[in-house]
Amino acid sequence: MKMLRRSLLLLLLLPGLISCGGSQPSLHRAQLLSLGTLVDVSLWGASPRQITEAERIIQEELDRIHTTLHAWQPGPLMEVNRRLAEGSWFHCPPEILPLIEQGKRLYRSSGGLFNPAMGRLVGLWGFHSDDLPGGPPPSADEIDRFLANLPGMEAIEIKGEQIRGTNPALQLDFGAFAKGYAVDRIIERLRSIGIRNAIVNAGGDLRAIGRHGERAWRIGIRQPRGEGVLASLELGEDESVFTSGDYERFYIYQGKRYHHILDPRTGAPARGASSVTVVHREAAEADAAATALFVAGPQGWQDVARRMGIEQVMLVDDKGNVWMTPAMAARIRFETAQKPRVTISEQP
Amino acid sequence: MNTPLVTRGDWLVLGASLLLLAWLYATLWSSGGETGGQLHILVDGRELPPISLQQERTLAIDGSIGTSTLRIENGRVRFLSSPCPGQQCVHTGWLSHGGEFAACLPNRIALQIGGDEGRFDTINF
Amino acid sequence: MPATRPSHAAGHTLTTTVEDHRIAWLAALAITIHLAESALPSPLPGVKPGLANIVTIATLFLYGWRTAAWVVSLRVIVGSLLLGTFLSPTFALSFSGAVASLAALGLAGLVVRSGLGPVGYSLLAAMAHMAGQFAVAYWLFIPHPALLRLFPLLMSAAVLFGLLSGIIVATMLRRLP
Repeated sequence: MKMLRRSLLLLLLLPGLISCGGSQPSLHRAQLLSLGTLVDVSLWGASPRQITEAERIIQEELDRIHTTLHAWQPGPLMEVNRRLAEGSWFHCPPEILPLIEQGKRLYRSSGGLFNPAMGRLVGLWGFHSDDLPGGPPPSADEIDRFLANLPGMEAIEIKGEQIRGTNPALQLDFGAFAKGYAVDRIIERLRSIGIRNAIVNAGGDLRAIGRHGERAWRIGIRQPRGEGVLASLELGEDESVFTSGDYERFYIYQGKRYHHILDPRTGAPARGASSVTVVHREAAEADAAATALFVAGPQGWQDVARRMGIEQVMLVDDKGNVWMTPAMAARIRFETAQKPRVTISEQP
Repeated sequence: MNTPLVTRGDWLVLGASLLLLAWLYATLWSSGGETGGQLHILVDGRELPPISLQQERTLAIDGSIGTSTLRIENGRVRFLSSPCPGQQCVHTGWLSHGGEFAACLPNRIALQIGGDEGRFDTINF
Repeated sequence: MPATRPSHAAGHTLTTTVEDHRIAWLAALAITIHLAESALPSPLPGVKPGLANIVTIATLFLYGWRTAAWVVSLRVIVGSLLLGTFLSPTFALSFSGAVASLAALGLAGLVVRSGLGPVGYSLLAAMAHMAGQFAVAYWLFIPHPALLRLFPLLMSAAVLFGLLSGIIVATMLRRLP
């Protein structure tokens, strides 16, 4: 009986160890305020070690993108821009080359509406600054001079790891695409450390993998005008949701609003749309597409979406009306008290 | 056994138990434990002690470029004002569900409501 | 070594003491109550009024803390084996409740020594039992603030049932010769 009692005592200790070691899977949510972006990370069922590792990875990738791709502070991208303007062949840093390659591809498929080569125009409008400009906007003359010799991504030639520029006005600015690129890299690295369920939301643009326990991840899409949530989505196993809005960076000069999404056809802030939301697998493509579709506006977005192979789009125009592809309409849920006027485009 | 059914010591324990119960109701049923949860405030990467949303209060928080004011009432919170140029934080409006957040990046202040029972896991904008 | 292996005859006839029998009987009684109780509904799975507490307190008064501790441990383990919850979250709850109430009883015995009757011990055990279960439920399983609002209610129930089983034990002990 003594033996029996002793083994019972051992049994008593066991569950204590088990219940302490294997805590239930749960949600971990953290905000990282990293160099100009608030990153909201949700991890489901990750171990404490994975959580620490994930936060380190995210911080690292954002810092890396920030220093490598900064468009107006001295760093690798400014150096590349200086040498592109010179026009001779040079060795492109390996961390920038894939962005140029992907940028060229997306530039082509968007018909030039996504154009990371027109950094100079962004600078002309005063958006190359941490503080928003107070105006005035550039003169029509300045804009016309730039448009007369508008640089596109075809003005960069690539041979192996060597590149050269063929238009001295060309200046790279990956603002419309760097965030997506970073989110893709972060998700890839989170997967490599065994994380299966996560949302990485970098300043409003996100990619989600896996699920929230028993259910799918649910996200809200902000109203471009006014407050609160316009619509919601349940996400699949691996999807990105990117929104370009005219409310993200803008300034008001003499009562007129100037936002940061510039139309390469007019050289001015794109008119007609107030936000475009794209759902797509890869974040980098979703990011570039959201910009291109915003520039295309309520009239032209369907053609551009077709060319870029983007099936799920929602555009809110400047009057608050909603335009959608059938694939988007099938899954989105409006969360406003009054449903907006919705036009569903025809099957592509 | 001539001891009474309930001894003096027992009465003492009972009295203490009732006091404990009163205290539990007073603390857990007043503000802190309300559903809808706590407000977490992140200033320049550091988290302030969580605040209950079950109160009426206007808070001034010093960030990197100035003072942002927050308004807490009826279990919800919003940015009332912020010294940032974009005013995105103010336009985000009221937050009331677990998981919702708003941030003023220029002033490096972020708000988030605790709990994972919100309607949305995150907000796209 | 097989050659030098001693006769293990002594191991075959498990010598059981009077105390062992007593523990077995009391545990059987406690388990019966435990099982009956598990059929009752509860706001938190695994959180029960703890009427098996009656057996614990009676044992404590009749045979001392050590015997009571054995009765409680057997009740928790055998009870969960019978219910099929052994090593499950429910088990972790009743286990932590048992540890907390035994600790409270032991401490009370050391600190107070005399003057405390069955009602006092029963109240302490019931509250410690509930608090222990709740702490584990909260920290390990559902750390949600909404759960905290349940705690005062659960503790009220613990005081009520602790009082009830304390009075039952006190009455019972008086009738014993």
